[in-house]
Amino acid sequence: MAVEALSPPVGQPPDPDYQMGLDLMAFQQKQRRILSIKIAVVWLVLLGFVISFLLFIEFDFAYVVENAWFIIKEGAKWTIIISVVSIFFATILALLGALGRLSKNSIALGISGFYVSLFRGTPLLIQIYVIYLGLPQVGKSLALLGASLGLPFLSTVGDWFILTPIQSGVLALSLNYGAYMTEIFRAGLQSIHHGQNEAAVSLGLSRWQTIRRVILPQAVRIIIPDIGNQFIAMQKDSSLVSIMGVWELTYMANRMARKDIKFMEMFLLAAAAYWVLTIISSWLEGLLEKRLSHAYER
Amino acid sequence: MKKLHILASVLVVLSLLLAACGGGAETPEETQPPVEQPIETQPTEPAVAPAEDKLAEVMARGILIVSSDPAYPPQSELVPNAVRPADTKCATDQKTSAELQGFDIDVSVEIAKRLGLEACFVTPDWTLITAGNWADRWDLSVGSMTITPERMQNLFFSQPYYTTPAAFFVYTDNTSFTQPSDLSGKKIGACTGCTYDAYLSKTLSIPGEEINFVVDDAVFSGYETDSFALDDLALGDGTRLDAVLTAQPTGVQAIQSGKPLKQLGDPVYFEYLAAAIDKAHSKDPTSFVQKLTEVIQQMHADGTLLGLSQKYYGLDLTTAAGEFDVSLLGQ
Repeated sequence: MAVEALSPPVGQPPDPDYQMGLDLMAFQQKQRRILSIKIAVVWLVLLGFVISFLLFIEFDFAYVVENAWFIIKEGAKWTIIISVVSIFFATILALLGALGRLSKNSIALGISGFYVSLFRGTPLLIQIYVIYLGLPQVGKSLALLGASLGLPFLSTVGDWFILTPIQSGVLALSLNYGAYMTEIFRAGLQSIHHGQNEAAVSLGLSRWQTIRRVILPQAVRIIIPDIGNQFIAMQKDSSLVSIMGVWELTYMANRMARKDIKFMEMFLLAAAAYWVLTIISSWLEGLLEKRLSHAYER
Repeated sequence: MKKLHILASVLVVLSLLLAACGGGAETPEETQPPVEQPIETQPTEPAVAPAEDKLAEVMARGILIVSSDPAYPPQSELVPNAVRPADTKCATDQKTSAELQGFDIDVSVEIAKRLGLEACFVTPDWTLITAGNWADRWDLSVGSMTITPERMQNLFFSQPYYTTPAAFFVYTDNTSFTQPSDLSGKKIGACTGCTYDAYLSKTLSIPGEEINFVVDDAVFSGYETDSFALDDLALGDGTRLDAVLTAQPTGVQAIQSGKPLKQLGDPVYFEYLAAAIDKAHSKDPTSFVQKLTEVIQQMHADGTLLGLSQKYYGLDLTTAAGEFDVSLLGQ
């Protein structure tokens, strides 16, 4: 594309600098290629270090090969399901939270500020415990209240508070990451120049239309890399749901390791699986980012 | 739109606050009065209506939901590449008996069989099982759980189905320790929050057994699970640990798998391991506990449990459990 742009206009004498431009581009391409090769060599050397580390600890490759598919098939399935569902809900929560943070309504400001502070300021593991162990007790209290007030439907409502391990995990991850991502969304929305907002208002757009049609489409481009980042972190944090007995990657690796006393083998297998998952998701994120920045390409 | 998101945020925050308040308040009221539990008599018809009775609920459901953490071979472990039976009644988030194996799993399946039920498994973390307040997510734990006074606050126990001797293990080359009492003041590893932890801090008490605390002032290192402690001990004599206190079968298994360890002296105490039932079930568990005790006594009497013990441990770990007088628990 760039070469075509450089070709001299038809019917004019050849540009004496044309060949020089082509040479310069070829030189730069060559430089880039050399750099990629050097980086690849560095990666290979580092991988060599990792492999020699494995050899030093008497790593049982045959055992890993034998059990990898079982661990990854069952474990990665749940890791992916939980992460994808949680990042979806976390994104919704973060959008709501950011709108709250940016509003001028005291209730919305108070709630969103409290939410971010509480869920960003407490450990995810404790949030999981509170949701898994604490919520059923709320349900039980509701059922008791219903019985004493003669409102039997409260007992049904109480049963909704008894979440399965997967529901608890998704709820905790969504709330926790929603809190972090609220700040990302807020920063993204604020990064759009206020002139955009003023222009939209002067065109007669409502506040919601302004956000939906003008601010968000521009902000999303800035937010996407950070969401990708959070998604990568979430895939690894999803290992915490293993305490409730969800058979995700860490759980499978851990229980398999205890079965055959092969801890290094199984933990490193799980680590490799997480690594591959995050490489795939950063690649997907890169594609999405490219797609969203079409309008800004020159 | 704004209203909607305010409403959503309010709900989120409210539910969290409720969760925080609900935690402590309910537990004391939920504690049932001690249950009369005659051993030899036939189970009497429950006085409460069937809808309120745990046993009736389980029998009507047709499956027995057992919790077992497959982290403790040979009691409970994963079966790689297991095929789930097509005709199972277990829910999709429950595991079938084909997907797990071990002593506890076989005992669970046998208990369920004698009740005319299918055993289905859930696999929460051990701390979630011992904490009680299961919110009816599962019916009972068959998880080699030692009967302790602390656990009896939250859980009912059946007749024990076997015992576990607790023993010290040291590095194989060590010659300075000849008996457990030599370990006083040494670095000893064990799982945090389990009975070995309590033994080392001299707070362990096992109903129906007098315990002799032979180790003074141990420097305790807590581990998430026994096998991590054994791994650390296997690094070398005194490298990270001088000794590990764990279940004799667990230590013996680690030695058989090639760890450079040896048992130090005789077992220091015996644990009675029983099935546990949540006291805070929404249905009355009295007749359910009675029925379980009765089933386990049958399994002792006809030698089923002894056979399983021989199969998994090559030892008789069950006779003492069969002779245990469950009425001593006073639950």
